[in-house]
Amino acid sequence: MAPESTIAKPRAPQDAPDSAPRQPERPYPGALVVVEGIDGSGKSTQLYLLKRWLEIGGYRIHFTEWNSSPLVKSATKRGKRRKLLTPTTFSMIHAADFADRCERQIFPLLQGGYLVLADRYIYTAFARDASRGCSPQWLRNLYSFAPIPDITFYFRAPLEIALNRILGGRPELKHYEAGMDLGLSFDRTESFRIFQGMILDQYDQMTATDNFVLMDGTVPVNELQQQMRELVQERIDLQWFAPDSAG
Amino acid sequence: MDPSDPREHGGDGQPSASGDGAARPAAPAAPRPAEHPPAARSRFYGSPLPRTSEDDLSGMLIVIEGTDGSGRSTQIALLQEWLESNGFAVQTMGLRRSNLIARDIDDVLAKNSVTRMTLALMYATDFFDQLENRIIPALRSGMIVLADRYFFTLVARAAARGIARGYLHGIYEPALRPDLSFWLNVSPSVAFEREFKKSQVISYWEAGLDMALSNDLFKSFIRYQSMIKKEFENLAKRHQFVKLDAEAPVQTVNRELRKHIGEHLRIKDLSYKPSSALIHLWR
Repeated sequence: MAPESTIAKPRAPQDAPDSAPRQPERPYPGALVVVEGIDGSGKSTQLYLLKRWLEIGGYRIHFTEWNSSPLVKSATKRGKRRKLLTPTTFSMIHAADFADRCERQIFPLLQGGYLVLADRYIYTAFARDASRGCSPQWLRNLYSFAPIPDITFYFRAPLEIALNRILGGRPELKHYEAGMDLGLSFDRTESFRIFQGMILDQYDQMTATDNFVLMDGTVPVNELQQQMRELVQERIDLQWFAPDSAG
Repeated sequence: MDPSDPREHGGDGQPSASGDGAARPAAPAAPRPAEHPPAARSRFYGSPLPRTSEDDLSGMLIVIEGTDGSGRSTQIALLQEWLESNGFAVQTMGLRRSNLIARDIDDVLAKNSVTRMTLALMYATDFFDQLENRIIPALRSGMIVLADRYFFTLVARAAARGIARGYLHGIYEPALRPDLSFWLNVSPSVAFEREFKKSQVISYWEAGLDMALSNDLFKSFIRYQSMIKKEFENLAKRHQFVKLDAEAPVQTVNRELRKHIGEHLRIKDLSYKPSSALIHLWR
């Protein structure tokens, strides 16, 4: 990896309406937008719509998903299927997955001036693995190599609404997804409810400490998307990622 | 700053709270598993493994570290026989032996398709899988665990590749402190000679070729192994290694090992002669 970025980026917005910088100072010319929230909060739908908007506009973007590195996938699958994972190895194997995407995609693309969109990021690990009993300090260290997002959208829906969205459509909950490894309940659905509640608490606690932008997951999809697009335009100098920009 | 470089994120496992609120410690959250008072010497280095009690670990964890060609495997085979003949049950562990992820590591190493942080974390996963599923259960049933390398090698290799030592020690905080750690120390040139003699080739990774130190295999091996050795010098102080001269004959090194372990286990008669199965190692 290059020790320093060689690509200069114009920092001043075209028509600076005020003195506040639109993007925080970063050691790379790209930008990173992530969505977080519990299952059923609507985050993936919203990120998909944001991605479509940017794609159609021809912007230089890259989309990345939690838990998707091809290098680590088979081990993660094996671990989950055969129930080999402890809270520690569950956390580590996801960190390895994340590291692979970081080193081979996220870092190089940020350095190359891309707008990177991530469906779930390190906060997923912080919320979920701390609920499993991993030390929060240990987790923060583990992921300390991760670039800090320019915007972290936190989609929040009341637990019952989120649960109904999930449980209504797809009753097939997987072992770890339902938190069955924690012995919360013998009933898988009940275990899932309790586990999601724990994760929601963890997210809520990070809202202030990690500068989450709170998004109300009960607002109609198109309205929420409008809010999201406005915020992205406000915080990120999209000109820089436009098709006709030098790059 | 290179975003990949955790050197920028403070030392010794402590995430820095610098700048844009990057790696601020999480707000105190989930009930943490039993906090240890600073005075009590925990068997863990830091925050303990979740859902693991350290109270009933009656066995003994012995770590044998040293580069390839230091005679580790030979010594471990001999020690296992010696301990068993003295009535101690032995369990072994080593790198890349977990059920969870060992074969995937083999795979990415063979394909040479992995970057440094990912590899470091895959090895850490392999390590913790064995720690939780092999070492701890063995210690709980009172066995002697002989570790053919421990996380020290993993820290040394990753640190040589520029990953911050503080970050690495942070990752291994929930690891168990060994009762005894030995470092079988050999010079890089002796290690080269022994490895070459054994397999007639030097592996890509043992020579550190991924680090582009030199196109010359011999030079690369020597440079890389010297870097690892330097890391081990630091680790030796930090973790109180018993440093042994592994260029000495097998018998001499073995006698030293038996002396230290025997003292710990109160084995009075330290004499040992390998069985016919292992006598070929006795030179």
